[in-house]
Amino acid sequence: MPDFLIRLAFDIVAFTSVMVLIVLGLGVIASMMGIFNFAHGELVMLGAFTVFLAHDAGIDIWLGILAAPLVVGLFGYVLERSIIRRFYASPIIAMLGTYAIGLIIREIVRGVLGGHYKSVPEPWPGFFTVGGLEFSNWRSFIIAITLAVIVACWLLLSRSSLGLQVRGSLENPMLARACGISTRRLYSLTFAFGSALAGLAGALIVPLYQLSADMGLRFLVQGFLSVMLGGVGTFEGPVLGAAAVGAMASGLPWLVPPVLADPLVFVIALIIVKLRPQGFIAGVRR
Amino acid sequence: MTRYDEDGASAVRSPRHRRGFLFGAGALAAAGWTAGGTGSWFLKPAWSQGGKAIRIGIATDITGAMAPSGNSCWQVAQFAVEQINAAGGIAGRPVELFLEDTATDSKVAVANVRKLIQQQKVDLVIGGILSATRQAIKDPIVNRGRTLYIYPQLYEGEECTPHLFNTGPTPAQQVDTLIPYLIKTVGKKRFALPSANYVWPQLLNKHARTVIEANGGEVVFEEYYPLDQPEYSATINKIRDGKVDCVLSTIVPPGLQPFSKQLYESGFQKNGGHVVSVYFDENSLNFVPERELEGVYSCLDFFHTVDDPYSKAMLAAYDKKFPGSKYLFTAGSSSSGTYRGIRLYEAAVKATNGDTAREATSAALQNAKIANGPGGGAEMVPGKMHAKMNMYIAQCRRTDGKLSWSIVQRDEMVDPKEC
Repeated sequence: MPDFLIRLAFDIVAFTSVMVLIVLGLGVIASMMGIFNFAHGELVMLGAFTVFLAHDAGIDIWLGILAAPLVVGLFGYVLERSIIRRFYASPIIAMLGTYAIGLIIREIVRGVLGGHYKSVPEPWPGFFTVGGLEFSNWRSFIIAITLAVIVACWLLLSRSSLGLQVRGSLENPMLARACGISTRRLYSLTFAFGSALAGLAGALIVPLYQLSADMGLRFLVQGFLSVMLGGVGTFEGPVLGAAAVGAMASGLPWLVPPVLADPLVFVIALIIVKLRPQGFIAGVRR
Repeated sequence: MTRYDEDGASAVRSPRHRRGFLFGAGALAAAGWTAGGTGSWFLKPAWSQGGKAIRIGIATDITGAMAPSGNSCWQVAQFAVEQINAAGGIAGRPVELFLEDTATDSKVAVANVRKLIQQQKVDLVIGGILSATRQAIKDPIVNRGRTLYIYPQLYEGEECTPHLFNTGPTPAQQVDTLIPYLIKTVGKKRFALPSANYVWPQLLNKHARTVIEANGGEVVFEEYYPLDQPEYSATINKIRDGKVDCVLSTIVPPGLQPFSKQLYESGFQKNGGHVVSVYFDENSLNFVPERELEGVYSCLDFFHTVDDPYSKAMLAAYDKKFPGSKYLFTAGSSSSGTYRGIRLYEAAVKATNGDTAREATSAALQNAKIANGPGGGAEMVPGKMHAKMNMYIAQCRRTDGKLSWSIVQRDEMVDPKEC
């Protein structure tokens, strides 16, 4: 029985890491800029697409994985400078606008892929064995990277001077500008950073799943649920929310029929949001 | 296969005006959407003059989630009609093709199919891949449109509408020979039926369960998942604890990849288990990793490896017409059913001496028979709206370092057992 529990725990932690990785970028943008980026799923997909293109061109997959956050980060930067910054005044328009951007990206990629599903092999295939139990290398790697990324983000936001500027702008943009902080530049950087995180997530998860134009959609909906659940305005909130949603999504099919598990995740999450509308951790900006 | 995908609904809409269509088609072609030149929305042989041409409408998913299958279907239709026209048409009449995009979206499908019926006044509509599409367009075609309809895809059965002919395999055809083979020849007893939650897996499983139990096998569990479920550890655990030795999977992309990966990683195949998936064809070689595909069984009406001179020549001619196309002539993408449907219709119109009136061709189609086609000949079962065809059980094996489908059993003229 302990074998069974360890295996269960590993599967849940592995899937939760995937969720957290995807939600991080979404959470950073939502918390810092007050914008719900509906194109986030497509940014994740672009990260996966970058890895696929690299692999298809015969380049090492690891290089593709390294390139993905840079490429998608740059793309996000351009996107913010050209389009997103016009949406800050009205969050509803921002939602529709980013949804449109996502739709355009999705259909272009669908055209390029001919609508097919593409596989990318794991760069580090196989298992390692601990106490007679086998663990997938790549899933373990994702867990480790997720932890590293969380720690790095947290250090960046709480210990660096850039982080101080970001937190300052978040708390009071007007005062921050009065202190000589360029909030415009900060927003561009934040959006690029969130996009880069999405790209990294896509690059890491594509060997587990499959590259298709729609791969971002599913995670997008659960991602929003995570941000709602965790609370907007903090760094820890969305991470906790993602952990909760991920654990529920992978744990519930053990208890109830899988078709019921999916809606049940939403029902439970909505009940929690009803009881605690500010999320797990209440932030400055709601 | 008749997958229903809500997300696909957000695909490119079919434009309303012809100018808009031409512009849209040009843009699609520029984006690489429509390899094979579907920018031409209508194909006319050079010798077609006057009003005596036979008009066939193709209503298929050129855009949206089912675009890969839809484009294959369209290319195969062009290919078949070109062959027919090169041989002098049907009973001396040339054949013209008309294309409308059903866009993986029932609403768009209905609007565009009406154009085929009302504006182009086609004699026959072939198409629809998802069951949802078929359900949506069959009434505008068959009842209100008073036109013949051929549905070419492998599907869940139970479609017995008059004047609607089905030319793809039914659950009985896919399962009746396969399961006895798995139980008696491969020696498998304990089956699991993990499935995507929509109509095709549900009705296929219903039939499979009776065949498994009739042959002394046992269904350990039958379970349904959302189409895009990304995590299957609970299922894998049931397979392991239930001592399942044969997984008959009807999980479709995008859920397929994580399932197949997690199943492989659990060591199921290494410990002697077998995976069976009855929609896997040559396209699967492109989206299932090799290590997970090797050893999988499938059962379809056509594989590229089928030992049949006509099929081989047909494939070579298709590859010559569409060299390097990413839209393959396969059974799972409704290509074989489209080709068979056009050829059966040809046989029916020959029998009526070129009369394309609906009642006459429909009656002739009931008895239509072709000696050759993908995977061999086929014949409609009179009064049953479905076709008898050869079925092939194949296993994905490695030969010369490359995976291909090795035919392990051929069954002649398997009965569809519908209606």
